[in-house]
Amino acid sequence: MLNTVLGSLSSGVAASTNSYESISTVTVGSGGSASISFTSIPATYTHLQIRAIIRGTASATNVDSIIRFNNDSTVGNYYYYHQLYGDGSSATSNNANSDTTATLYSFAPAANATASVFGGSVLDILDYSNTNKYKTTRSLHGYDNNGNGFIILRSGLWMQTSAINRIDLTPSSNNFAEYSQFALYGIKGA
Amino acid sequence: MATTYTLISSVTVGSGGAANIDFTGIPSTYTDLLVKYSIRDSNNSISQNINLTFNNAGGTAYSERLLYGSGSAAQSFSSSSAANINFQYATGVAATASTFSNGEIYIPNYAGSTAKSVSVDSVVENNASGTAMGLNAGLSSNTAAITSVKLASPSGTFQQYSTAYLYGISNA
Amino acid sequence: MTSTYEKIATNTLGSAAASVTFSTISGSYTDLVLVANWGVSVNGDGTIIRFNSDTGNNYSDTELYGTGSSAASQRRSNASFIDITRAIAGDGTNIYTNAIINIQNYSNTTTYKTALLRSNLATGTYAGVAALVGLWRSTSAITSITILPASNNLLSGSTFTLYGIKAE
Repeated sequence: MLNTVLGSLSSGVAASTNSYESISTVTVGSGGSASISFTSIPATYTHLQIRAIIRGTASATNVDSIIRFNNDSTVGNYYYYHQLYGDGSSATSNNANSDTTATLYSFAPAANATASVFGGSVLDILDYSNTNKYKTTRSLHGYDNNGNGFIILRSGLWMQTSAINRIDLTPSSNNFAEYSQFALYGIKGA
Repeated sequence: MATTYTLISSVTVGSGGAANIDFTGIPSTYTDLLVKYSIRDSNNSISQNINLTFNNAGGTAYSERLLYGSGSAAQSFSSSSAANINFQYATGVAATASTFSNGEIYIPNYAGSTAKSVSVDSVVENNASGTAMGLNAGLSSNTAAITSVKLASPSGTFQQYSTAYLYGISNA
Repeated sequence: MTSTYEKIATNTLGSAAASVTFSTISGSYTDLVLVANWGVSVNGDGTIIRFNSDTGNNYSDTELYGTGSSAASQRRSNASFIDITRAIAGDGTNIYTNAIINIQNYSNTTTYKTALLRSNLATGTYAGVAALVGLWRSTSAITSITILPASNNLLSGSTFTLYGIKAE
């Protein structure tokens, strides 16, 4: 007989307060930054969310960035990405596994985009400290540059069951530009 | 001081699996509901739909519009007068082991007296080219306040370690 | 004690209205999240958003959407608004549409302002699901947000709530 698992709010059970908390924030200073890191991430939350505005310094209209967990750059430990995106003229879904040492994070404007344009990104990692699960990332991100741009739903995979205690974000070339900001939040699940 | 973002309840599926995850007795004291879920299903495929219903109501109350990516093609689908909203995804057992989907269901004004519109973003990951990812617009035409939210496997069971978390978002 | 995620203001329409405005938005948060659940008085009428009452051609957007039968993308440049339901629109009678709009670093006076949003309408002639990124080409801090239908009214019972997220 198939069973149902109930999540019931019964009397005497107090709802958790303040389930959404800021953990750490990094704002890129003058000169840019080759990467940013969140270290010593406590295991006391259940989910992580990174909210960011991003611009790269690469001599290009846009640049991708990668994400690694726990300083792991082992070949074969990641699936690079799957995505669904719009470029202003067509909708596309594709994937790549050309780099299995990381997973793709966010696609953002770079130095040749209109000045002051930054991409936006919200990335979610559920059950980040669950040692029974590989870690799946989900992000909605993109930028508009008044005539070009992208809006993207993207996912990635880290094939390790370790609890995430460190996150490194690195542009695929050059640096993150000054004023890029990455804010890490923890969401409680208990 | 009022708390805006509050965990109401959480569920972790144990050994033996579960056909459903059912949040019941939801108080009306919040404004919006948010479900975050990480689910693996027994279906022998890379992904499996999850049936979403409110207040155990089926019938013909539900409609949806889906924008979908398979990893190789972008498509759109619709459903109307259906017994559930089901364009959100669990990982199936044909996908990479230990991999669970990553999804979020947002229900604004769940306790109001109008129809209930739903926003769903979900992804399935897999160490291969095929996947399922979607942005879904759902609707329940039932105007009663939502007091229960059920996630159900259409034909199998949610696997051990699958999780779902119900949050209340308050505008008080 | 300040919470990370806080309600700033909420507006539920007791009667049809031409627009809703959140004004004098404090700069003390990092991001804004606007949750909207609304209807429009004329079938097919879209809904737009403006910041700081700017009606100049200082907006643009890129959208990804599905109609239920086709997946597509489109763009608008040099516009006087961001259309939050660009490919979808209300049905003229019911409060069926919802949107979640993220505006990161809204009070940053160095960067232009980028909005990431999801909008949803599951049924009707103009139904669809969309994700959109919009740009407001201004380095001003956002102190007001106006939501209005492209041509007509917002329905009574429509609700709009603005939340602030504060990064430490």
